[in-house]
Amino acid sequence: MNHYARLFAKQLTKSYGDVQALRGIDINIDRPGVFAVLGQNGAGKTSLIKCALGLEPIGDGQLTTMGHAPGSMTAKQQTGVILQDTDLPDTLTVKEHIALFASYYPQSFSVNETIAMCELSSFAHKKYKQLSGGQKRRVQFALAVVGDPELIFLDEPTTGLDIEARRNLWAVIREFANKGKTIVLTTHYLEEADNLADQIMIMNQGQIVANATPANIHKQSSGSIVRCQTSLNEEQIQQLAGVEAVSISGRFSEIRTSKVNQTVAELLALAPDLLDLTVSKPKLEDIFTQLSNPDLKQSSSSDSAGAH
Amino acid sequence: MNTAFTSFNLETGAELLKSLRAPEFILPTMLMPVAFYALFAIVLPNNANAAAYLLATYGVFAVMGPSIFGFGINVANERDKGWLSLKRAAPSRGINYIGAKVVNTLIFSSVAVGIVYAMAGFVAGVALPISTWALLLLTHVLAVFPFILIGLSIGFLCNSNGAVAISNIVFLAFAALGGLWIPVSVFPAGLQSFAHFLPSFHLSEIALYVSGAPGERDVVYHVIVTGISTLALLGITILAWSKQRTK
Repeated sequence: MNHYARLFAKQLTKSYGDVQALRGIDINIDRPGVFAVLGQNGAGKTSLIKCALGLEPIGDGQLTTMGHAPGSMTAKQQTGVILQDTDLPDTLTVKEHIALFASYYPQSFSVNETIAMCELSSFAHKKYKQLSGGQKRRVQFALAVVGDPELIFLDEPTTGLDIEARRNLWAVIREFANKGKTIVLTTHYLEEADNLADQIMIMNQGQIVANATPANIHKQSSGSIVRCQTSLNEEQIQQLAGVEAVSISGRFSEIRTSKVNQTVAELLALAPDLLDLTVSKPKLEDIFTQLSNPDLKQSSSSDSAGAH
Repeated sequence: MNTAFTSFNLETGAELLKSLRAPEFILPTMLMPVAFYALFAIVLPNNANAAAYLLATYGVFAVMGPSIFGFGINVANERDKGWLSLKRAAPSRGINYIGAKVVNTLIFSSVAVGIVYAMAGFVAGVALPISTWALLLLTHVLAVFPFILIGLSIGFLCNSNGAVAISNIVFLAFAALGGLWIPVSVFPAGLQSFAHFLPSFHLSEIALYVSGAPGERDVVYHVIVTGISTLALLGITILAWSKQRTK
């Protein structure tokens, strides 16, 4: 659709004094969808967002949003954002906040359209201070989208929200992605990235350590997780075919294996008293721990144990 | 299609609503000057000319509150909340944000000074020619600007708690030591010289000159000092503005 990328970074760095927040980031997002930036606190997610918005000057490398310099008026007119730890003035109503933000953009949705799209009508006349945490975040989301931007940054939009509020916001975010918008969302909720994202970038210590679809991220961690109650001890399990790691918690043994059929067959043959057998693919959490911890990245034999 | 003008109007309207919906902040700054004026210029003095003389200095006092508190505390508070960062990430214009606050400060300062004038004219019976009232009003309204720059610098440099403390200290020091409450001429010599470092002193001397108050004063000197210090304050404000941007 556009000849330039919506968000483009090449060898981007950023430091605060001696602390290197970003160490050579490469990004090329040129299509609609939800792009999750997943990482622990201090991984560099917020620094990346702040640089992309022009709130922070970049170090070396290149960075453009909507083909323009971050923070330039042209870039900002095509960008919307929820920042972390932001509160709006208490005494203005939801409608008044939206009307004000709408006026910043050359082609905005009307106040009523925005209220309908973001499902705010039940509290649109209330003052900001009267809203619940979930409602406040929905209003912030409305401010991010009122200008009909192509690119929307959401920096930990669901932090501190309860499950229901989180799921409500997910649904609205998903709708905007379906309308052709690009949403870059940082989160440390694995479930959020897994449920919402078309593409997941895992950040660790200022670098992107993985960048793939959720399905491919799952594939990257080979093998399966076998969970059961067995009379075999840890050492005996380790001898079974294909076993890469074992962890025992309570009565349950959790076995990470590359050859699930053989492992289960041997398990049954050696100890037929097996109970509560389940086989699953590794969860994103396991992969995340594996990828975002450089020490575990090399040796895959002990990472399953490290995930708990 | 939104224009810059619509946006400025909405920004100004939003500022006005914020102030009106927080009367606990705006009422004291509106009413304190007239209360002080009634007490120190009308009730307490046994000199009938005091009300006319002090009208000039209490007018400066009246415009100082909305400027220093409105900018110092509000800007620091909105910056702490991340509200300014969000506006900066959005395509809003910083000049509109400041401009809207300036318009509001002019409105509330005019009301505050108007109440003092009403008290002087109707209660204390201060009689001045219409042209003098008009010139005095112009002087008082223009006096808003150096105080706005001081308020803005405080707002950009301090967090919200610090801004409350520093705004109060600056406000009280300017009022007491600048001769807004009691004429500087009754101060000891050291404090009299110190007053020359305070913009409130020079502004009140200009206002006294405009109101035709008795006593000799070098109005050109006061105007020059006020002009230079306003430019210096503008420089400080711009530095403070760029410093908070990279925080």
